[in-house]
Amino acid sequence: MNQIKRAALLLFVLAAVSALTACGSSDDSDNTSTGANTSGKGATTGGGGSESATTTIVIHNGEPVGGVQELEYGAGEQVRFRVRSDVADEIHVHGYDLMKDVSAGGSVSFSFPAELEGIFEVELEGLGEQIAELRVNP
Amino acid sequence: MSLLPFAHALAARQDLPVPAWLFAWGASIVLIVSFFALSVGWRAPRFEGDRWRPLGAGLSRALLGLPAQIACGLVGVSLLGLAIYAGLRGTEAPDRNFALTFLYVTAWLGFPLFSVFFGDVFRPFNPWRAIGRVVGSGFTALAGQPPSHLRYPERLGRWPAAIGLIAVVWLEIVYGSSGGVAVGLSPQPVAVAALLYSGYTLAMMALFGVERWCRTGEVFSVYFGMFGQLGCFGVEDGRFGVRRPFSAATRWATVPGSAAVVIASIATTSFDGASEGAFKGALESTFNRLVDAGFGLTSALRLTDTIFIALCFAGVAFVYLVGVRGMASVPGAPPLKKLWAGFSHTLIPIAFAYLVAHYFSLFVFQEQAQFTYLLSDPLGTGTTDLFGTASAGIDFRLLSANTIWYVQVGALVAGHVIGLTLAHDRAVAYWKDYRQAARSQYWMLAVMVAFTCFGMYLLSVANG
Repeated sequence: MNQIKRAALLLFVLAAVSALTACGSSDDSDNTSTGANTSGKGATTGGGGSESATTTIVIHNGEPVGGVQELEYGAGEQVRFRVRSDVADEIHVHGYDLMKDVSAGGSVSFSFPAELEGIFEVELEGLGEQIAELRVNP
Repeated sequence: MSLLPFAHALAARQDLPVPAWLFAWGASIVLIVSFFALSVGWRAPRFEGDRWRPLGAGLSRALLGLPAQIACGLVGVSLLGLAIYAGLRGTEAPDRNFALTFLYVTAWLGFPLFSVFFGDVFRPFNPWRAIGRVVGSGFTALAGQPPSHLRYPERLGRWPAAIGLIAVVWLEIVYGSSGGVAVGLSPQPVAVAALLYSGYTLAMMALFGVERWCRTGEVFSVYFGMFGQLGCFGVEDGRFGVRRPFSAATRWATVPGSAAVVIASIATTSFDGASEGAFKGALESTFNRLVDAGFGLTSALRLTDTIFIALCFAGVAFVYLVGVRGMASVPGAPPLKKLWAGFSHTLIPIAFAYLVAHYFSLFVFQEQAQFTYLLSDPLGTGTTDLFGTASAGIDFRLLSANTIWYVQVGALVAGHVIGLTLAHDRAVAYWKDYRQAARSQYWMLAVMVAFTCFGMYLLSVANG
């Protein structure tokens, strides 16, 4: 009787852990699949549409069109994106601490090596509005 | 559109989710170690009774004497004063103001870290205790007799601290995420909250006595002191000494409401971790429902977060209750109430592991700011440069994503092992029969494995 109870508990624990592990792994495959096409996820894709295509984040009325954009890169790659805005503000890439001014109706482009790993905010500094999330994977 | 902003006003950088393979390894190690740990012949309690022995009398005098007490108290009071002043008078930018980083990173995360290794290091620096003691001695000198106090209701126990702990975190991650933009908590409300809390604490100290209130009611004394129970240095009868690590924790939960403090700690950290990963979808749908029901954006956001913090608390308490009920079903078990209190200290290492897993990188990065520009320019106005470091920045290259992952998973595994060991030790003290004690521990094993895997799961879907 005791033996059975103990075995059942063991099985329960193992099942719980493997279920959680499965959760984790399915999530990971999700991530990699989104990772592959993030460069195309921007609101508008400028240029020829090849691998070197630059994502353009369009700001309309001080908000990013299509919500907060995801930019995903591997460490060491070159981060390239452009911001086209209908409001004048300063674009701030947190962590990397890069700032560039954009004029109303103008656009500004960023190009820098992805040397810091982690998740960073890109925001309109004046409005305090997040426009993109930069992910740099190791 | 993502309406839920970054919870942390300070974090310019967030951790990447722990990859699945590391998650799987971590969980496997937890299981293997658990079964090994349970099968070893640990038949007599080793942590009950802390085997404290005093260190040299000179060291005691230097560390605990009146000059040291005054110096530490002054440091505590002036840092709190500086934080409040900076919060009220300094810049509104959370990351440039001394107040937020000092109160919510350096103190709130730093004291648990040091306490875990060294014991209760907050007590000498506690600014309210210092003020309360000075006022108390002043009163005694003037009135010719010590102030008389109300009797503290024993049944209240550590509940005021447990509720206060949730309130402190609530202020940071619920109240602070108001406004619907990615700004977060600004320094001014924190300074006002610190002032209100100071008033409340001093009033309670006047009512119940300084040391009495610190023991069970004062949030920071109780919370940091809880982690201090794991550390290897302690003060007994006014003498400084060394004790077996973790052993003091076995006597910690004799006060009602202690379990609530450690459960609140695990619950609030889980909520903070889950709100940007595991709970994101659920939070957003609850939020939308509340907005549809006619709530304003800010109140809907706060209400959503508050509901989920309450759910986290209930969830963590429920898992622990399952473990305790399970143990109670083993023949020879003490009453449920005794089990509930008697095993709550075994969750302290888990609570600490959750803190490390969730805040380790934030702490390391933000402390660079604390000791450079925030120290030189505490108000963040750009006009002062006390130590010539006002223009320094945070070097995010200090920790790679891999290092952070290993620390996170390592902390969870280590916390689990220590918690399990403490639980096993308590069981052999409670059950006369060793085999029954070991049987009861399959339940605590399930609890610990659940917490550890939940913690690792949160990391693996973090910031998704």
